[in-house]
Amino acid sequence: MAATAKKWKPGDCVIFIIACILALAFFFPMFFSLISAFKTNGEILKNPIGLPQKINFANFVYLWNKTSIPRATLNSALLTIVSCLLIILFVPMSSYVIERRGGKFSSFFYPFFLAGMMIPFQAYMIPLFKELRVIGLFGTMAAPVIIYISGASSFGTLLYCSFIRGVPKEIEESAAIDGSSPFMTFWQIVFPLLKPCTASMLILQGVGIWNDFLMPMMVMPPNQPKTINVEIFSFIGEFQVRYDVLFCGTFVAIAPVILMFIFLQKYFVSGIMAGSVKS
Amino acid sequence: MAIKQQSLSRRVPVWMALPSITLFSLFVILPAFLSIYFSLTSWDGLSPVMKFIGLQYYIDIAHDSRFWNAFRNSILLAVVLAVVENIVALALALLLDKVIKAKTLFRSIFYLPNLLSGIVTGYIWVALMNYSFGIFNVLLTHIGMTPVDWLGNPKIALWSIVFVMVWKGAGYYMIIYIAGLNSIPQDILEAADIDGVRPVRKFFSIIVPMLVGSFTINFTLSLINGLKVFDQIVAMTSGGPGFATETLTYQIYTVAFSDGRQGYGTAVAMTLFLLTLVISIVETKLTRRFEVEA
Repeated sequence: MAATAKKWKPGDCVIFIIACILALAFFFPMFFSLISAFKTNGEILKNPIGLPQKINFANFVYLWNKTSIPRATLNSALLTIVSCLLIILFVPMSSYVIERRGGKFSSFFYPFFLAGMMIPFQAYMIPLFKELRVIGLFGTMAAPVIIYISGASSFGTLLYCSFIRGVPKEIEESAAIDGSSPFMTFWQIVFPLLKPCTASMLILQGVGIWNDFLMPMMVMPPNQPKTINVEIFSFIGEFQVRYDVLFCGTFVAIAPVILMFIFLQKYFVSGIMAGSVKS
Repeated sequence: MAIKQQSLSRRVPVWMALPSITLFSLFVILPAFLSIYFSLTSWDGLSPVMKFIGLQYYIDIAHDSRFWNAFRNSILLAVVLAVVENIVALALALLLDKVIKAKTLFRSIFYLPNLLSGIVTGYIWVALMNYSFGIFNVLLTHIGMTPVDWLGNPKIALWSIVFVMVWKGAGYYMIIYIAGLNSIPQDILEAADIDGVRPVRKFFSIIVPMLVGSFTINFTLSLINGLKVFDQIVAMTSGGPGFATETLTYQIYTVAFSDGRQGYGTAVAMTLFLLTLVISIVETKLTRRFEVEA
């Protein structure tokens, strides 16, 4: 804000204009998809760049009445919320043990969890699906939740351990002297101090789960609507040339994520930063 | 002090870590190890028996031109993506460093595509790169040039995908570079200005060496993300035209789930895993070397 007081030099103007042009170029594809949700298919084909002649909610009505998007959106929301809650229940606790216990336990389990970040999902999905079949979880809503928690513990351990390192041990010591059990000390004293970390974790994992495609398509209950991204995928083929319906679907997929981003921006940035420290 | 620390570490019970350890072991580590076994069997994904065939699939893979094509596509895509993405991300970071107004807004706009799913990104660009009504060809015909078949021409399709991935990913790496730039002590830059060091010299002698850490992280991350690309390919080309954009990830998927050759698919998956492993090891080695220098 101090910058507003400064005088603009000619160089500053040039840089500002370049930034504006680039920003417009970067934003254009999103703008295109968002406005297309309010256009008719004819309008999209004839005038792909222009604004809709009138704001038209027909696509949304169609989406609501004729497609599996409402149910799929609900599924996506449910999966995201339940997985995130369980991630926040399990991962900080295990990170706390890894960070505070020290010794052989930590020197084994810290790299153990981090190793997961190197393994691409495609490299182990085939045995994983077989395993889920054997224990009877394949084709249930529980399967993706379990996979999300397991997958999140790698990055989560990295993120939480680095934050817990910064919490002074003295607080926990005095809580213990007051007779608090380690479990209660963690949830009542340490966990509240990790709020920024938890916010970053929730946001990054939440967006990742909401946007996921391959795994939910494979493991969710067959012959019923799956997640929003899977249903958008199945549009193609079903509605070969219905770009209006397609972009209405992508609008529903994009809007919640952008809203979250607008309100919680700083946690996105701090999450990226924490994740880049050691990867 | 030492006694105190020990008492705290004794008090934190292991059971608090058990839910995570159990899930992670069962659903990441175990299947990762099972992959090795699966790749040695001729399993079709359905039958109850898994016939052990040893290294047969690895021998087959070595002679399979479809595999080598996917291998080449994956490496090409990952390497070119990592190079271009880092150049764009660094350029954006340097630009924003100089912008004196609305910095946060610009940063958000460049980062925004990162929030889209691969599927959504893919379909947006399928429309933008459409042969007849896509904006690229509309502009090209407007200035009197012949339209290009961005996703249908086997020579161009892979680069179209790289282009889209740069659009989607550059903002993420930009944020890491911005943090790297911010961590350069301001007094060094000011001292250089006072000494009359020219901007180009300042860039290569001060800024670049100070960004080596951010660069190694970004380059590794973008390489690995390049190897993992799947959703965009499903949405944009389905590996086509022909096999022009078939990567290892896409091949694993089609071979295992469309053709029912899960053993073979797992063997291909093992090569993908080895690739990412090699990249991670090289990265750790390089980082150590630079840390010693710094």
